[in-house]
Amino acid sequence: MRTEAIDPPGITWQRVSPKYVTVRMVQWALANVATVLVLALPLVLVLAGVWNWPPLWLAVAVPAVALVSALWRLALIPRQVRAIGYAERDDDLLVRTGIFFQRTMAVPYGRMQYVDIGVGPVERGLGLCTLKLHTASPGTNAQIPGLPAAEGARLREQLAARGEARLAGL
Amino acid sequence: MTAEEPRPGPAAPLPDAGGTPAAAQPATAQPANASDGEWLRVHPASPFIRGWVALAAIAFFFGRDIFERSLQGRPVFEEELAGRASWLLAGGGMVLLVSVLGFLLTWYFTKYQVSGGYVRVNTGFLFRQQRQARLDRVQAIDIVQPLLARIFGLAELKFEVADAGESAVRLAYLKIDDARQLRATILARAAGVAVDPAHPEKPSPEAPEFQVLSVPPQRLVGSLLLSEQSFFVVVGGIASVVLAAATDSQAFYFYLIPAGLGLAASYWGLFNKGYNFTAAISPDGIRLRYGLLDTQAQTLPPGRIQALKVTQPPLWRPLGWYRMQVNVAGYGVVENAGEGSARTTLLPVGTLSDVMGMLALVLPDPGTPQPAVVFGAGLTGLDSDGGFVTTPRRARWLAPLGWRRNGFAATDTALLFRSGRWWRQLVVVPHQRTQSIALHQGPLARRFRVADLVLHTTPGPVVPRLAQATTEVALSLFDEQSARARLARKRQTTEQWLRQVVPGDAAAGTGPVAGPLEVPTPLETPTPQQQEGGQHG
Repeated sequence: MRTEAIDPPGITWQRVSPKYVTVRMVQWALANVATVLVLALPLVLVLAGVWNWPPLWLAVAVPAVALVSALWRLALIPRQVRAIGYAERDDDLLVRTGIFFQRTMAVPYGRMQYVDIGVGPVERGLGLCTLKLHTASPGTNAQIPGLPAAEGARLREQLAARGEARLAGL
Repeated sequence: MTAEEPRPGPAAPLPDAGGTPAAAQPATAQPANASDGEWLRVHPASPFIRGWVALAAIAFFFGRDIFERSLQGRPVFEEELAGRASWLLAGGGMVLLVSVLGFLLTWYFTKYQVSGGYVRVNTGFLFRQQRQARLDRVQAIDIVQPLLARIFGLAELKFEVADAGESAVRLAYLKIDDARQLRATILARAAGVAVDPAHPEKPSPEAPEFQVLSVPPQRLVGSLLLSEQSFFVVVGGIASVVLAAATDSQAFYFYLIPAGLGLAASYWGLFNKGYNFTAAISPDGIRLRYGLLDTQAQTLPPGRIQALKVTQPPLWRPLGWYRMQVNVAGYGVVENAGEGSARTTLLPVGTLSDVMGMLALVLPDPGTPQPAVVFGAGLTGLDSDGGFVTTPRRARWLAPLGWRRNGFAATDTALLFRSGRWWRQLVVVPHQRTQSIALHQGPLARRFRVADLVLHTTPGPVVPRLAQATTEVALSLFDEQSARARLARKRQTTEQWLRQVVPGDAAAGTGPVAGPLEVPTPLETPTPQQQEGGQHG
């Protein structure tokens, strides 16, 4: 992975599984196909001559814009998935996400209150899981999606052990 | 707590303390370490004070009718009702009896116990609930006295524990002396003051305290008049008068009536909450007291403040006033300036010296040889005053007003974020309170080679965010702050603040407040201003 400007230098990022692209695409399809179809309904009705009001250009433009933006988001998914990375350092876990709006987060092991693993239906089919880290702050919105199940379990045990060793209060 | 006889030792069996009626019920399923735990009940009048609104509503409903009828010289009951009066009376009596019985049962089944590092509270008779809170996780203790409770000399004890999600534990109502005694006990246990094994029932002495500052009522009124709310009131008032004149319609004045009532209630709420604000320091922590009709005494133990911000709205600038707010685990987020925001307010309105005094209490060791310069620059400074590193000039179009203010400075013990040219703001986060750190960079920021740095703390009004720092600076701060937070966490190993002072670790910086007080002896010395009795008595 290319190191971005806000990534600490000298970090080798662990990548999440490329199969996570499939999960994201299923999510994308669920969210977007229905939207585009609903937005395309007036076009069908206008073409069928049932409706008179929306002029043809408007009936075409609205679903077209929705379609283009949905396709744009679809095209971004592989890059977004490639941009997710994590790295275990001695005292904290680094998590990075994003290509346009980048975020790099450091969560100290001693601050983790609990770590949980979530598996959705599509993820289960692909043998993936999502790891979530919780600290006392709701701002720590750190999750690593698309981990292979074995790696997720290993990471959870590892984080729990390291957190135990370095546990601090609030 | 009320037992007089000395116990043979902590190994003595638990049974009830005999003499005290409140301890009639021994613990049923308690861990073995409940050496000094008697189960106590809250004051019997509590449910009535909590349920007084319902009782008052019933009384008002019937009372007004009877009152009006007797005023008009009519019989209290209509003729056709009079025949059924006995039934009505019986029905009303039943309702009253059932509610009183409910109150009594609620009271009977509400019990609490302090023992073995835990406070346990049992409530409910149909759906029983037991809550237990670890004393060393106590984040803050409040003694709240609503007006009615105050008339009867009762108080509610409320404490926040950073253990689980739903965190507040409430005991309502206790006698004010008992509440204060319990607070002292909880704080002493939380601080790690050892229980005398020969006298486990000996009450912990209350920590002495010294008043640090108070807010005079005229300043409070001034701050309310000069608030943003007043600004919008004036603007809204002018707008409606102009509109009414322009459209020649009186309707606008009608809209002003409910608005005026709401505003009066809001101002009254703020005044009632903020009246007679005093801050005092004791080995237990910072004591804040405030309230005109409903009084509240808050105790923030040392090191429980997760983050702090000092703000100055533009209208306050000519008068040099500031407001201070804090994040404390368990207090949570409070959106508007109404009810609960008083709890997260460390200083409703104060001068520069008040602010510096409070900062000294919160951060006994400022971590810099020139605290006045650094923190002063954080409040009012521009550019690189006081060692602040600001937004680079190339990014000034991203923050045309604030770029000379946006900046940070790090002392040995805290990180300072400064922002706002008009709405001045200074955020202080002690190093050992950082939960996690994140760098954010959007496309526009990347174009200007700047990045935002966010520190995550517990929920509250303070959101520490450094805006538009040079990317390299942000990146090095990201690393340095992680290292500083790690070091600070290693130094502070226990939640029991009186035990924090490790010999030879002078840099740990628990400071002059907690430092010389490893033993409870100094707590027993009488103080020049034991002013709590004066305020609550």
